[in-house]
Amino acid sequence: MSANQKWVGQALERVEDPRLLTRGGHFIDDLTLPGAAHAAYLRSPHARARIRHIDFSRALQHPGVYAVITGEDVAQSTRPQRGRVPLANSPRVYAVAYEQVRYVGEPVVGIAAIDRATAEDAAELVHVEYEPLPAVVDPEQALEPDAPLVFEEIGSNILWHNTFPYGEVEAAFAHADLVVDERVTIHRYCSTPLETFGVMVQYEPAPHSFTIWGHTQQPAQDLHVVAAAFGVSPGQIRLIVPPMGGSFGNKVRPLFIIAAALLARKAGRPVKWIEDRRENLLALGHAADGIMEMSAAVKADGTVLAIKFRNIENEGAGIDFAGRHNLLMLSNIANCYRLQAISYEGYSVVTNRCPVVANRGIGKPFMCFAVERMMDAVARALNQDRAEIRFRNFIQPHEFPYDTPSGQTYDSGDYPEMLRKALALADYDSLRREQAQGRKEGRLLGIGIATAVEPGGSNLAYGMLISGPSQLLSGQGEAARVRLETDGTATVFTGGLDSGQGHATALAQIVADEIGLNVRQVRVATTFDSASHPYVMTSGVYSNKFHGHDTVAAIGAARKVREKLLRRAAAQLEANADDLELGDGRISVRGAPDKGVTIAQVASRAYWSLADEQPDGEPGLEALHYYSNPLAKRPDDKKRVRVQLGFASAAHVAVVEVDPETFEIKVLRYLVIHDCGRQINPGIVEGQVHGAVAHGIAAALFEEFVYDEDGQLLTTSFMDYLKPTAADLPAIEVDRLETPSPLTLLGTKGVGEGGAVVAPAAVASAVEDALAPLGIRIAALPIVPSRLWEVAAAGLKRYENARK
Amino acid sequence: MAETISIALKVNGSELAAAVEPRRSLVDFLRHDLGLVGTHVGCEHGVCGACTVMLDGRTVRSCLLFAAQADGADVTTIEGIGTDEALHPLQQAFQKHHALQCGFCTPGMILAALELLRDNPDPTEEEIRVGLGGNLCMCTGYVNIVRAVRAAVSNGNSR
Repeated sequence: MSANQKWVGQALERVEDPRLLTRGGHFIDDLTLPGAAHAAYLRSPHARARIRHIDFSRALQHPGVYAVITGEDVAQSTRPQRGRVPLANSPRVYAVAYEQVRYVGEPVVGIAAIDRATAEDAAELVHVEYEPLPAVVDPEQALEPDAPLVFEEIGSNILWHNTFPYGEVEAAFAHADLVVDERVTIHRYCSTPLETFGVMVQYEPAPHSFTIWGHTQQPAQDLHVVAAAFGVSPGQIRLIVPPMGGSFGNKVRPLFIIAAALLARKAGRPVKWIEDRRENLLALGHAADGIMEMSAAVKADGTVLAIKFRNIENEGAGIDFAGRHNLLMLSNIANCYRLQAISYEGYSVVTNRCPVVANRGIGKPFMCFAVERMMDAVARALNQDRAEIRFRNFIQPHEFPYDTPSGQTYDSGDYPEMLRKALALADYDSLRREQAQGRKEGRLLGIGIATAVEPGGSNLAYGMLISGPSQLLSGQGEAARVRLETDGTATVFTGGLDSGQGHATALAQIVADEIGLNVRQVRVATTFDSASHPYVMTSGVYSNKFHGHDTVAAIGAARKVREKLLRRAAAQLEANADDLELGDGRISVRGAPDKGVTIAQVASRAYWSLADEQPDGEPGLEALHYYSNPLAKRPDDKKRVRVQLGFASAAHVAVVEVDPETFEIKVLRYLVIHDCGRQINPGIVEGQVHGAVAHGIAAALFEEFVYDEDGQLLTTSFMDYLKPTAADLPAIEVDRLETPSPLTLLGTKGVGEGGAVVAPAAVASAVEDALAPLGIRIAALPIVPSRLWEVAAAGLKRYENARK
Repeated sequence: MAETISIALKVNGSELAAAVEPRRSLVDFLRHDLGLVGTHVGCEHGVCGACTVMLDGRTVRSCLLFAAQADGADVTTIEGIGTDEALHPLQQAFQKHHALQCGFCTPGMILAALELLRDNPDPTEEEIRVGLGGNLCMCTGYVNIVRAVRAAVSNGNSR
């Protein structure tokens, strides 16, 4: 435990806010360089086509145009992308389409000009001759033998396929009293950060180096991807990541950085590119759509013994996330339940849709939706209450730490108490009475329940299940440096990034406690700069990793600084370091409070007075700490791997009303009991829960990227791709349970993704419950009134995605 | 280069004159010509509200107006509301209630909320939700934004 927990645990106001409330000024589009050009891209109108010829001569002659690049330039000047987790049989993917286009919106020609409008004018002067080819949009059709091939060089549309038998699955089915089958699908959606993707690159020819200001969530990995593309040392690239206006897993497209870098090199001046919203919806990336088939072995009392899963993940026309939604689902495949055995078969399939990216929860919202739909189906099959079936199958509080069949170690939790608390908060029994009364009056009221684990911190060794044991990238960790300044304040540098989670405030709270400072005396350098910020290859902001990695790295560095500080103070005070006390910016001798020095006095001498004897053998008062999570091991020979490393949990209750004529769905109440262990800043945590739940409700009821059968995206503005407003969402009610994790220094667990993982399942459960008088089962997302009306009008009993 | 149009307007209380391209949007003029980067661009098609500013006392989408249309107008941006050292009471309420995360929607949200409270000094929760319905926030689920606006009302210093 920390020496002195004065600040950790307080719902402090955020240090980030005054600037954001009054002027901003640090987002990528707020930055510029003298002479900077602006980029625009001509994009593919076809889902699949051969590029026969590109004539950009008129564009190049257009006044104000500095440079034009095509796929030919990119293929000559850069190496193809291999993917973050390299594939054995990898297609060649470049930053700009080379020879073929593979999705609508793929960049075909890049133009740098004096301003954005001029670059867009010039793009209209480019003539591209395409030979349109048949496209494949549906992932099941992509698996058929005569399907068009998205990447002809790999001979099929399957990027990755594997099976994972965990435990005695067939024995469980042999002992089952009942087998319940389900097929559910999830659609394409995306959290669409309000700030779109941006990058600015300055190229220096003499040392052949690039300075990049740009968006990423994994700065070290993306820096290396760019270095590999250009065949330069990582040391020749300086990557600066300013605070981002949201990211949610989406800003992970190093190809866009590579294209801007190539334009900057060709233009001989800095180039800036800020994605517009249409480009963002077309091409930044979507959450993978998927098709899950399940079969559960169930005892007559409701005990679920085992579940078999078969999942098809639609990667679109990208390789960077191949297999990753699939494998991350192994983290929550057992969810909160004591399953004896599980089998999982996963496919990663390419189609002519936009490439997928990580979106809040990556894969886990679909797995949670699937398992929770199955639990509801089991309840229905046995005529049990939905809450009851969950109580019967929960892992019990005394069983932690609990190892699941896929190899996850659940650190702590109390799932029965969590659900009891949620039902009490919702007043479940009176809701059921209100529902029964409402049904007599023709009202369709529904109460949905979902209980779930919310995994945090991914162990990147899971990629070895895709690329084999020789993969370099593995584990999870973070790096941090803490410097005491000469005035006695502290500055913290980490490999983490700022995209709105209040990490600067949380880290200040942690470091202030470790060094005995006021929280206002600790600042965090939130603009990541590879020239000043330490990093490891897992650095960044993703996978709910902050709680047990960034925090631990910062504590490690702070403790080293504290030790140096005490040794220096001991020398100055001519006392023993063990006899010193630290607090409120001052070090004093225990029992003799008058005998002391301020931290500023000690820190000043550490930097100014180099002629002094140096207690550490060196001047300065700064420490670096690299942390690697010891739980993050390689996969074992049974394909078990701790895909994720900490397990928060939540119980959600959704109350909805469906209009019996229009099938409009209104969320009347939404309640959450969540447990992320100890909270560093409960104000920030609650906001994360609200925001994530809103994403989940929106994914379930509002948002959908709709493709037609030719692969045209029909939802390319916020008029068509519906984001919920304040008027569309309920006042989300949140309370907490707190079972501290025994596996992190502070007892913390991840919190940012959780609500988005659980809410789609709770909403689907509620709508299905509302429709019980009509007997309609919800097997697909999103749940759209017009389609629901069609299902009801046709007398159908399943709401599912129409097969193309 | 393209012809320009001469305009004269007041921005955050200061009179100024400029020559702008006819196609220069008001938001690009504010951000790139005047350096008032607190106004953000979120969609450029008038849905998200990130570019909300006050023009002659009414909120407008500055991405849907040309700078030339602001000739003679009185424009207020987030830079005209409060400062780091002296936050407006509504900005204080936003900070106190964690009503922002990434902060990208915040300037537009503040201006929309100021207009709402000016026109309806004691709104219900429902009226706040509808009143802010033209501004998207991708981070907060709006819960703490609504809370902050209500708190500003109950403190009686929303102006």
